[in-house]
Amino acid sequence: MAHTLIIGAGPAGLTAAYELSKLGERSTVIEAGDQVGGLSRTVMYRGYRFDIGGHRFFSKVRLINELWREILGEEFLVRPRLSRIHYRNHYFNYPLKPLNALAGLGAVEALLVGLSYTKAKCFPHQAETNFEQWVSNRFGYRLYEIFFKTYTEKVWGIPCKEISADWASQRIKSLSLSEALRSALFKANHSASGEIITTLIDQFHYPKYGPGMMWERCAELVSRSGNEIVSQARVERIRHRHGRIECVYARTPAGQLIEFGAEHLISTMPVRDLINALDPLPPDDVVRAANALRYRDYLTVVLMVKRAAVFPDNWIYIHSPEVKLGRIQNYKNWSPSMVPDPSRTSLGLEYFLWDQDEEWSWPQERLVELGIRDCARIGLIDHSEVEDGTIVRMEKAYPVYDRVYQDHLATVRQYLLGITNLQLIGRNGQHRYNNQDHSMLTGVYAARNIAGAQYDIWSVNVEQAYHEEGPAKEVTWGERAVPTALRPEPPEAQMSPEKLVEAAFARLDPVALGASFGFVAGLLLFLATAILLVQGGVMVGKTLSLLSYYFWGYSVTWRGALRGCMQAGIGGFALGYVVGTLRNWGVGAYAVLLKRRAEAEASRDLLDKL
Amino acid sequence: MTTPAHERLEVSHAIARIHAGVMALVCAILGGSGLFIMTLWLVIKGGVHVGAHLQLLSWYFWGYRVTWLGAFVGLFWGALAGGIVGWVIGAVYNLVVWMRQR
Repeated sequence: MAHTLIIGAGPAGLTAAYELSKLGERSTVIEAGDQVGGLSRTVMYRGYRFDIGGHRFFSKVRLINELWREILGEEFLVRPRLSRIHYRNHYFNYPLKPLNALAGLGAVEALLVGLSYTKAKCFPHQAETNFEQWVSNRFGYRLYEIFFKTYTEKVWGIPCKEISADWASQRIKSLSLSEALRSALFKANHSASGEIITTLIDQFHYPKYGPGMMWERCAELVSRSGNEIVSQARVERIRHRHGRIECVYARTPAGQLIEFGAEHLISTMPVRDLINALDPLPPDDVVRAANALRYRDYLTVVLMVKRAAVFPDNWIYIHSPEVKLGRIQNYKNWSPSMVPDPSRTSLGLEYFLWDQDEEWSWPQERLVELGIRDCARIGLIDHSEVEDGTIVRMEKAYPVYDRVYQDHLATVRQYLLGITNLQLIGRNGQHRYNNQDHSMLTGVYAARNIAGAQYDIWSVNVEQAYHEEGPAKEVTWGERAVPTALRPEPPEAQMSPEKLVEAAFARLDPVALGASFGFVAGLLLFLATAILLVQGGVMVGKTLSLLSYYFWGYSVTWRGALRGCMQAGIGGFALGYVVGTLRNWGVGAYAVLLKRRAEAEASRDLLDKL
Repeated sequence: MTTPAHERLEVSHAIARIHAGVMALVCAILGGSGLFIMTLWLVIKGGVHVGAHLQLLSWYFWGYRVTWLGAFVGLFWGALAGGIVGWVIGAVYNLVVWMRQR
C-alpha cells in the first residue's frame, strides 16, 4: 500500500485524503493552521460562527454533489438568496432587476446606460485582452463603470485594465452556439440532493453550521479510516532527488522539525512557497517566476450587533468608493445557527488587501473601529449597537491573474513536470481561481491518479466538458450496485443532445429545395395541360390557358405544355430557393437569440464570481 | 470576437433531409382538407352558379362536383394529389442533396 503525503487540509487536500481512503490507500495530511477547512473553514468566536467569504454549495459536477451528500448527509439547509449592491446611497438588487436599477439610477443615467450598451453591441472592442474590455463588451462601459469597476478593483487591488480577460472568461464560461443551444434546450442543474433546480441565483444549499462543518466531518472520516491529520505543522523544506520527492520537513509552533517520508506528495500549498521550499532549489528562472506570482489577502472584521435583524440580505456588495469595505456578510441569514442568540446579529465586513498594506498589520481594536466607522458611513448600524468585534486574517486568499501570471506559471509547471511523484491541486496549489467544487475535483483526480488513473488535473476549471462528461463516465465509488428495470428508450432519447441540436438546427439546402419545387411545379403544369389535351373537347383548357398572362408563350397545346413546364420549373426553383434561404436565416437567428439568452443568464451573477 | 454570421455557421454545417413520408402526409392533409373546406364553403354560400371555376377540377379529379358529396370526393383526391406532391418534393430534395454531397 503506497503512502501519500498531502500538504494542506483545505477542501482539495481533505478530498484527496478522503478519496484515497476509499481507494484503500494510506495518507497523512499536514496542516499549517490549527483548524481544517482552509478557506472553507468556519471560525468560531464566543458562540458565533463565521464563514470566510460565504460558500454556497452548488456544483455542476455531479460527483462533487454526491460527495457533499456522502460526507454531510442531510445536514444541508436550503436558503433563499438575497444580495444587493450599495452604490451612491442606493441599494440595487443583485442580480440586477430592470425596474429596481432604473429607480436607483434615475431616468437620465438609465438612458446613458442604454446608449452605452447599444454602443458596446454595435462597436465592441475587437480584442478582449483585459477585464474592462471583457465586461464592457457585454454590459456597456457605463454599466461596467457603475457595477463592476469599483468592486473588482477593491477585490483585486489592481486596475481592471491590468486584469487578464482570461480570468473573467474562466469564471463565466464562454458558450459556443451549440453549447448554448444544448443548455437552453436540454440542460437543468442538479442540486446536492439531486433534485433539479433552475438557478443558483434564487436559493442555495448551506451546511447548518457553516462550510467548516463539511471539512470537520471529512477530517473525522479520514482519521477514522486510519489516516493521520497533523495540525500546526508548517512545511519548511521538501527534499527531492532524481525527479522524486523523498521527504517533507514541517515545523511545529514549539519549534520541533518533523520529517515525513512519502511515496507520493500532493501539494495544496501556494506555488510560490512550494518552489521556495524545494531542496535543492530549482534553477533561478523558476524561482524568479514563482516569486513573481502574486496573491491577494483578505481580512474580515466581524461585528456582533445588538439587533435581531440588520438587513435581509445574505451579503451586500459595497461599490461606494468612499469606503474601503468590499462586501458585508450577514452570517445569520446564511444559517440561523451561525449565531448563539437570535436577538443578536453578526456581520462580516470583508476587506481585500495586500499583506504590505498598512491596514493588514493594524491591531484588532483599530480594525474593528474602522469596520464600525465604515458601516455607520453607509448607514447600516450605529456605533452604540456593536457589543463586540473580532478579526479573521486570511493570507493568500486569491491567486492574482495579472497579465504575466500565465508565463510565470508555465515556467514553474514545466519544471515541476520533472518531479514524477508530485501533484499540485487546489486554488493556491495550482494558482488557479478554483471554487470549492473545482478544488475538490482536483483532489479526487489526484487520488485516483495515485491509484493508477490518468486524469489531467490541470483541465479542471478549464474545460467545461471535462467536468460534465468525465465523472459521468466513471464508476461511482462506494456505491452499491442496485438492479434497475430495463426500459425501452424512444429513438430521440438515444440520440445525444449534440445530435439532437444538430438535427433540429440543420440547414435546408436552398438549391435542393429549389430543384424539388421546380420539378414538381413544372411536372404539375405539364400534367394539367396534358390531361386536358388527352381528354379533348371543343374549348380545350379555356381557363388554364389564362396562365399565358404569366408564362410566356403558354397555351393548352403540347408545345405550350413544354413551355409552361419549363417556366413553372424556373419559378418553382426560385420559390424553393427563397423559402430555403429564409428558413435557414430564421433558424440561425433563433439559435443566436437562444445563445444570447444563455450567455445573459450565465453572466447574471458575474459579481458573485469575482 | 465572434460575429452573429460566424455563430450561425456553427450550427449550419449539417444539411437537413426531408422525410418524404412525413412530407407526403402533411401535404395530403393540407391538400385534402383544403379542397374539402373550399368546396363546402361555396356550397354553404350557395348562389346561381355555385363554384363554376372550382368545378373545373373535375377535369382532373374523377367524380368531383361542388356539392356536399363532391366535397368528400375532393377530400380524397386532394389528399391523394397532395400526398404525391409532398412525397415527390421530399424525394427530389433528398436526391439533389445526396448528389451535391457526393
